[in-house]
Amino acid sequence: MAEAAVPNTAPMREVQIEALVVMRVIKHSTSAFPTPATGCLLGMDIPTNSGTQLQITNCFPFPAAAPDQPSTQQETGYYQQPTDAATLAAGAPRAKSNVAYQNEMIKYLREVNVDAQNVGWYISTSMGNFVNTNFIENQFFYQKAADEKTVALVFDVSRSAAGSLSLKAYRLSPSFMASYREGKFSTENLQKSNLRYQDILVELPIQIHNSHLLTSYLHDLPQAPPKQTALDFPSSLADLSHDPYISSNPLAPNLDHLDLSIDPFLEKTCDLLLDSIEAHQTEQNNAQYYQRSLAREQTKITAWQAKRKQENQLRVQQKQPLLDENEWQKLFKLPQEPSRLESLLVGRQVEQYARQVDGFSAVVSGKMFGARGNLLPGEAQ
Amino acid sequence: MADPKSHLHLARPLAPAAISTTAPSTAPLSCTILPQALFSILDHASRRPSDQERVIGTLLGTRSEDGTEVEVRNCYAVPHTETAEQVEVDMDYQKAMLGLHLRANPKEVLVGWYATSSELNTFSALIQNFYSQQGEGTFPHPAVHLTVNTVAGQDIDANTYISAPIGVTAERAADSCLFIPVPHEIKYGEAEKSGLEVIASAREKEDRSLLMQTDVETLERAIEQVLEMLERVSNYVSNVLDEEAEPSSALGQFLMNTLSLAPKVDAEDIERDFNNHIQDVLLVSYLANTIRTQIDLSNRLATAALTMGTGDVAPAADGQKQDGEQKRGGDRGDRGGRGGRGGRGGDRDRGGRTGGAASFAEMT
Repeated sequence: MAEAAVPNTAPMREVQIEALVVMRVIKHSTSAFPTPATGCLLGMDIPTNSGTQLQITNCFPFPAAAPDQPSTQQETGYYQQPTDAATLAAGAPRAKSNVAYQNEMIKYLREVNVDAQNVGWYISTSMGNFVNTNFIENQFFYQKAADEKTVALVFDVSRSAAGSLSLKAYRLSPSFMASYREGKFSTENLQKSNLRYQDILVELPIQIHNSHLLTSYLHDLPQAPPKQTALDFPSSLADLSHDPYISSNPLAPNLDHLDLSIDPFLEKTCDLLLDSIEAHQTEQNNAQYYQRSLAREQTKITAWQAKRKQENQLRVQQKQPLLDENEWQKLFKLPQEPSRLESLLVGRQVEQYARQVDGFSAVVSGKMFGARGNLLPGEAQ
Repeated sequence: MADPKSHLHLARPLAPAAISTTAPSTAPLSCTILPQALFSILDHASRRPSDQERVIGTLLGTRSEDGTEVEVRNCYAVPHTETAEQVEVDMDYQKAMLGLHLRANPKEVLVGWYATSSELNTFSALIQNFYSQQGEGTFPHPAVHLTVNTVAGQDIDANTYISAPIGVTAERAADSCLFIPVPHEIKYGEAEKSGLEVIASAREKEDRSLLMQTDVETLERAIEQVLEMLERVSNYVSNVLDEEAEPSSALGQFLMNTLSLAPKVDAEDIERDFNNHIQDVLLVSYLANTIRTQIDLSNRLATAALTMGTGDVAPAADGQKQDGEQKRGGDRGDRGGRGGRGGRGGDRDRGGRTGGAASFAEMT
């Protein structure tokens, strides 16, 4: 499996994940839960007719960043993040010690024929709560290289435990990358680039892929299929629970999706939504504070300018040298405009929640009507 | 999956010297394997060098305090070369990788090794003795040896062994040992179940791959499966009634038991619970979307206001567009305002304040 020799520039179309990676990510994420778990993805990119397909064939977890190393300074300085375990873990992919760790690991894995191309990173989350500066910074860290092909895999632990696997692949959009590279998220810049929160992340479709060996192994699980074509009837009830062919079928079908647990999901979603509103409020207050102090400074400056003008008029009458009218630039300092990035992210996060809830309510109302139809058979018709 | 009951343990090989204060137990060592370790072994097997019959690697995992239960949680490949006369394992590689894994996962310790063929030979004994030695090995616990048969054309089966020292002379002891099969089982957790299910449903496909599905699609599939099962059962039952199929009293009893599980609830109660819950769901969904709209609106107001105020700077068309967007946003806000009693007050308040901020911007 050689890497593509020519650098390919086709846009990434989809992500293909080996079953091994899925299982490893699940294991690492669930064992670290509720602390977010992060790790590195290995694989290669395959150019196809309609774009690049990114194949993720292996992965390994990052160690939590060493506590003595500060997780990276926040560029938006007005919002101090606590340096707890969660932040450390979330900042792990771009911590210096982990870059060294990653390089070393890749070097060793290459010796056993693992695809030694770094194709991104993964992070675990709970209820889709992952859109924050850390996430953006991490993906930017990976995506800023010129000919990169990297994705961020997001694995949702709580939603996967409730039934269906929730694994998503994201990239930062080119327009967001451009803005982030400049590092300015002022109102003016946003107007110019027309960047909205919907454009921050691009989701890529995910395909799960099994190797030949794995496929044949899965057919053998939990044991080789019975030799005779028709099974004998059980002789008693107890037989049914003991017969290995009947009792232990661990893989499919999984009927957990039919479970009707509604309240925990709603409760968590509401909590998270409230958090987002609070964050939005903070941003709003920051923006307002800026506007007010800007207005205050502006009035002061106009007052000063008017005064200077008067003085100059007086001086003209008295034939004295004029005073500089632009001196206010030295005397007054306009406040810095706070970055709009955070509020963009809050918007994106809320959108994520809203989509999640939409999906959930679609599924749940279907299930609930089904349950009601079952329990009240008369009214179903 | 080997059934633990199928293993009879007359005597478990004990550690060379019992160092623990508790009496050594003679219970069989039981081994649990997580699927990701097996997947990783299979992956390694498919990436082996073409001239090599089997490849080996190290097993990592946890061990219970008394050492009678071992859980294999992870593994990594170790390069080795094998010829007719000698075997060479890259010790430095093994040590370095162990160090790297311990950094990320301090809880997972060395528990043994795996090989991708079910053959046990002199080299296996040599490697086994290396892994169970004192110092770098698993001593005083026995090292677990997991063999996964990956030879084409044969069933893939996994076996676990531990070893006892054996040998006539001291020189021969190094490369001989007695492998004793131990029972093992493959376990997976609740969250892994969802992953395994997707992986398992890809096994039926020709190209061995499957697109990730949305929740609704998964639900649809689950319902289809249930319907299919019901169909089969009712077919069977009607066949029995028509005396076409052989009846089985055990199956009948089982079906009776299952049917009696259906709850008998008052129709009114169901109606009430149903309405309460569906309202909860719809309300939260509605609120979430209202909040999204409001935040969208507030973001647009915050960035759109400047061009609105200074229409002479921006081209007229742009101004109009902004205007249109504003109107759209306003419409949505109105729509949002119609019914969301809970969140509306706060949201509208915020919207108003954003408007305030925007007018400040206009003034400047």
